[in-house]
Amino acid sequence: MPHDAGYRSSSAAPGDAAAKVTILRGFPGRLRLRIEGLKHDEALAARLARALPGAAGIRTAEAKAVTGTLLLTHDPAVAQSAPIAAVVAVLGGKAAAAAGGEAAAPETAQEPWHVRPAEAALARFGTSAETGLSEEHARLVFRRVGPNVLVESKTRAPVAILLDQVVNLPTGLLLGSAVVSAATGGVLDAGAIAIVSLVNAAIGFATERDAERTISSLSSVAAPDAAVLRGGQQRQVPLPQVVPGDVLLLSPGAMIAADGRLLQAQSLSLDESLLTGESLPSGKTAELLSEPNLPLGERSNLVFKGTAVTGGSGRAVVTATGQATEIGRIQALAGEARPPETPLQQQLAEMDRTLIWLSLAACAGMVGIGLLRGYGSAQMLKSAISLAVAAIPEGLPTVATVTMALGIRDMRRHKAVVRRLDAIETLGAVGAVCFDKTGTLTENRMVAQGLDCSEAALPDLLRVCALNSEVELDAEGRAHGSSTEKALLELAQVRGLDIERVRRDAPLLETVHRSETQRWMTTRHRAPEGGAFLTVKGSPDEVLGLCRLTAEGAPLEEADRARALEANRRMGAEGLRVLAFAQGDMRTGGEIATDSEAETESLRWLGLVGLADPVRPEMAELMAKFHAAGIRTIMITGDQTATAYAIARQLNLNQGGPVEILEGTELDKLDPALLQALAERTQVYARVSPANKLQIVRALQAGGQVIAMTGDGINDSPALRAADIGLAMGSGTPAAHEVADLVLQDDRLTTMHVALGEGRTIYRNIRKAIRFLLSTNLSEILVMLGATALRLGQPLTPMQLLWINLVSDVFPGLGLALEPEDRRVLTEPPRDPKTPILSKDDFREVATEGAVMTATALAANLLVRRLAGPGPRASGATFVALTAGQLLHALSCRSETQSLWRGERLPPNPTLNKTMLALGLLTAGALALPWSRRLLGVTGMTAADWLIAGAAGGASYLVNEAIKSRRPQSVQAGGMEVGGETDVPETNPAAARTPENQPSKNRSPET
Amino acid sequence: MADDFIFTSGSLTEGHPDKLCDKISDALVDHFLAEDPLASVNAECAVATGILFLALRFAGGVTPDVAAVAREAIRKAGYTQGGFQARSCSIMTSLAEGTPHATQDERALDPADYDAFPAQHQVTLFGFACDQTPDYLPLPVALAHGMVRRLDALRGDGTLPGLMPDGQSQVSVEYRERRPARVATVALVSSVWPEGYGELTALRRDLEERVVRPVLAEQAPELAGDTQVLINPHGHLRQGGPELHAGLTGRKTAIDTYGEYARHSGAALSGKDPGRIDRAGAYAARQAARCVVAAGLARECEVQLSYGIGQARPIGLDVETFGTGTLPDEEIKRRLLAAFDFRPAAILARLGLRHLPHEQGRPFYEALATYGQMGRGDLALPWEEDGLAEGIMGRLGNW
Repeated sequence: MPHDAGYRSSSAAPGDAAAKVTILRGFPGRLRLRIEGLKHDEALAARLARALPGAAGIRTAEAKAVTGTLLLTHDPAVAQSAPIAAVVAVLGGKAAAAAGGEAAAPETAQEPWHVRPAEAALARFGTSAETGLSEEHARLVFRRVGPNVLVESKTRAPVAILLDQVVNLPTGLLLGSAVVSAATGGVLDAGAIAIVSLVNAAIGFATERDAERTISSLSSVAAPDAAVLRGGQQRQVPLPQVVPGDVLLLSPGAMIAADGRLLQAQSLSLDESLLTGESLPSGKTAELLSEPNLPLGERSNLVFKGTAVTGGSGRAVVTATGQATEIGRIQALAGEARPPETPLQQQLAEMDRTLIWLSLAACAGMVGIGLLRGYGSAQMLKSAISLAVAAIPEGLPTVATVTMALGIRDMRRHKAVVRRLDAIETLGAVGAVCFDKTGTLTENRMVAQGLDCSEAALPDLLRVCALNSEVELDAEGRAHGSSTEKALLELAQVRGLDIERVRRDAPLLETVHRSETQRWMTTRHRAPEGGAFLTVKGSPDEVLGLCRLTAEGAPLEEADRARALEANRRMGAEGLRVLAFAQGDMRTGGEIATDSEAETESLRWLGLVGLADPVRPEMAELMAKFHAAGIRTIMITGDQTATAYAIARQLNLNQGGPVEILEGTELDKLDPALLQALAERTQVYARVSPANKLQIVRALQAGGQVIAMTGDGINDSPALRAADIGLAMGSGTPAAHEVADLVLQDDRLTTMHVALGEGRTIYRNIRKAIRFLLSTNLSEILVMLGATALRLGQPLTPMQLLWINLVSDVFPGLGLALEPEDRRVLTEPPRDPKTPILSKDDFREVATEGAVMTATALAANLLVRRLAGPGPRASGATFVALTAGQLLHALSCRSETQSLWRGERLPPNPTLNKTMLALGLLTAGALALPWSRRLLGVTGMTAADWLIAGAAGGASYLVNEAIKSRRPQSVQAGGMEVGGETDVPETNPAAARTPENQPSKNRSPET
Repeated sequence: MADDFIFTSGSLTEGHPDKLCDKISDALVDHFLAEDPLASVNAECAVATGILFLALRFAGGVTPDVAAVAREAIRKAGYTQGGFQARSCSIMTSLAEGTPHATQDERALDPADYDAFPAQHQVTLFGFACDQTPDYLPLPVALAHGMVRRLDALRGDGTLPGLMPDGQSQVSVEYRERRPARVATVALVSSVWPEGYGELTALRRDLEERVVRPVLAEQAPELAGDTQVLINPHGHLRQGGPELHAGLTGRKTAIDTYGEYARHSGAALSGKDPGRIDRAGAYAARQAARCVVAAGLARECEVQLSYGIGQARPIGLDVETFGTGTLPDEEIKRRLLAAFDFRPAAILARLGLRHLPHEQGRPFYEALATYGQMGRGDLALPWEEDGLAEGIMGRLGNW
């Protein structure tokens, strides 16, 4: 691809030689791409298949010249953009080759800044390394190049949504039926059908647009500010306002705001996995490189937008912003603008397609049977079209989308920001949650929890706490300094010491800090009564070694030492960090050096203080709640086993059994199969570095579990990305937010529990709605087919079918989707992530329910037919019976276990109740008003007919409830124990799992 | 056994995976008992490739940082570099707390109450002693321990820096008329670090000249005339320790006791608090056998003790002197029963087993895990005291 000259032509339109890449399907770990130019190009296919595996976490690449598609499997921990970047790179090589013999130019829209000196970049953008741009200049540039933003997920334009509502199979059928009606003289019918179509489209449009808005707002988290140099001053500038020429100030945890050329770097390292797929941080320098044609990952003097600083510091001059950046170009090339469909949506879309064909086949069958039975072809055609309209389950993906969108909104109320749509459905299947100890389970501050000190020595010990400390108190009395020293100061304050006065009375003369070799800190102070004294605080062993006297001034005997060491051991075993305190009284006036023998001679042993980071009070209860919900809790900590054990016991992570702790600084060197086996039982990982979290997540996933993992640091990003649910705290680094699926804005982990319940409820509600839609639609098909086969004439008129479609389809479905959370939802084990949303058993049950509704409606038809013979009365009774049966069935669908005869009462669902009431009144109204009654073809019904129809509807409900109450109680929503695998739910999760079959972030329905 | 034969015993260095596991298990026992003599603890350890497994069932006392204790033991054993090392190896710990078994210190009990503290396990134990060495141990195992102890010492103090901590010895002694007549063969195998000892001949020379010969000269000078010495007969071992082979607590009970010269119980010693009769009883049986030999009643003596669950007095006691006794075995047995109280509480009170790590300081049991638990002249072990021998002898006069 030819060069694009700098930011001025910042459009990254890939209209040139580069082939365009479109994502057809993307799941974590799996990408199907359409590549323009690949079709019929066997050579390119071969080259892609050869060049890609190994690059950017790509495992396999399968290029098909026949279809022009490329199937990639890649490391799920790697962001999708990285493999796409690799594909683009290979295609770029092709473009260069096509350009004919000239040196393969690096496929970048920017100048190859890595082979230009930093000064050249500064000169180009008229800026300086010392002062940056002036505010004025920056404004000018901003006006020219626009904001530094990537194209956010594109919302579908309202027109497109509307078009989708109109141009689809059911609407087409409806209009077709209107045409047929008009042609056969039924102008009134045609009008009514047109109105129904309009109403359908309007409702669809309204709900979908709403859902669309919610979903497309997923990826937007508040963009952090970027630190830049403007007019010689350091400024925090909103990310969109960063412009080329700005000098970025880089510090750990910061996201890189734009592409830039490094001016200086001090041990700078960046996480560039987004672009390169490399999970290890890459080191950066400002040094000039000579090779222009380097992959992005090796351009060590450039920084790229979207990556993050993992360590060190540096400065870089911005060379490109917004869409002109590397990540912007990849995004534009890949057209990855809309969040991909979730596995559930795909599953439902697939089900939808199958059902459409089945419905059409049923309609064709009905026409065939009708013709055989001698019905007129025009009438059969009209009926068939109306049946198709009514029976086609157009609502399946819509119900899922709308339900999930509602869930997202609900979670936002709890300050849980969902960043990816599929997180919602994955939440319901989470089987294990991994927590960081510090800051998540604990309060991330130190508190003095143990004290070993004689009564007489206490005042002196507290005074040393106050004096031997670098904590500063500000005007409001707030402490600033290390958490340990703050805790000691707090201890002194709580015990009634006036810190300010003590410090005033004994001014500091000298401080000697602790070091690797001397693990204690000494301060020297002027004594109020004249002379000076020394305070010592540090490691118990060493401080004890220095002391010669007890607090009272008596010689420190061996027994005293043993007692002190034992206290130290005891506190250490409780997981406390222990500090020892001593004081030396010097009457000579402070001339003696701090480490001299004379001073240690006079050091008095004061005692020990044990400190700990306290566990948040609500955590033990939260863990118990997780356990009740069948979710494993796993703690990850950098602490040693003793501390980890103490906390695991406090939180009851072991649930009464033995505490299983894996302590390892080098988990990455363990055999993954071994780690997987260990991970089955391990509750605590001790002395683990954040980088090892990735191994832990993988090991747990390999065991077949859906994993949620918390993290807030930049080092956590690979693990957060690899986890099925990456959970970032609101106070965490932007980099963590960037890769997380769920951000808890208020840092309250308890929200996680709410979110899990929410996820499970949403999944179950989608199931309920789908079961309702399928069973009612089936009943319509069966009524028509059955009546035709039994020569019962036309049991339902086209208008009646349309009415049923309008009333008893989407609205009750949506009402069911709003079922409130059943309080038992969090007392049951999570669903098995591998089973589909509806199992074979479910389909059988749905079929039974549909058959019951059909049988009762047909029974009404037959009974009325007995009384009045064939005609509108029989047809009307069928209609009333079926409508009533379907509406009542919505109530039955509220629970898969609870029935009229069994189970507790369900929590009320006011939305569904109101919907049902409205629909019932609407139907009653339509039947009461003469003109609409005529339109519906319900004429001449007597009270007995009504009674029969109503009884049939009620009977259908009662029979279905009775069948439900006879089903085995253990069957839970969510397909946990279905499909003949009922006996091996969770106990044997890893059985028969081949490496190829390892679950990735979201199970693709293809596998 | 015929009276003329060759007998072979072996021993292991402290870095051998099985012994390493024993060492870690006993280090944990030390830590618990040092804090609380009444603590009960059962520490099982296994090691393979890069990972150490620790299953700890315990009650009472202060829980030490078990992983840190294990790392310290691994460090002391010499694993400070390579693929398996103290600093970085992974440690899988399973910790389960129970209720303490010991409710009272046996030392504070009235002997009249000993019956209230029966054995908690069924076990048959053997104690043995003979006059072949000053420590009343059979010569083969004593020499085998001497070899690996010196090997460890020279590696530990940096004299032979190329050695890995994993090694083993094997000593064959020719007996005539049940007395050692000649040290027939000494085999010593030590693994070396990948960068240590380029030449096998250098290793062979070093180990023969600095380990085998000095030990023979010290412990069996007149028997080592034509001893065959084999050093690493299979060549260089450039890999060793847990990276090469796995280890398990309690797999080397013969090395812990008498080198298979006498019978030994199937129950292991390491990793158990002495409240367990299979540990305390083994020491008591050894003490009894040693006293018989020390009293001059026999040149070799094996004492067998059987305990049943829920019974304080041993179900069975038997004495075998292999025809070396100056008195009938029956009479020796009678005297032992009169002089020794073998009830569990009595053993604990007499030997003070619960208090040893506290009184003698750590490492106590950890030090026993290598080079044998019996006949340790280098340690002050209460079960190696001959005080009660006089009691048996004194009765000789009366008889």
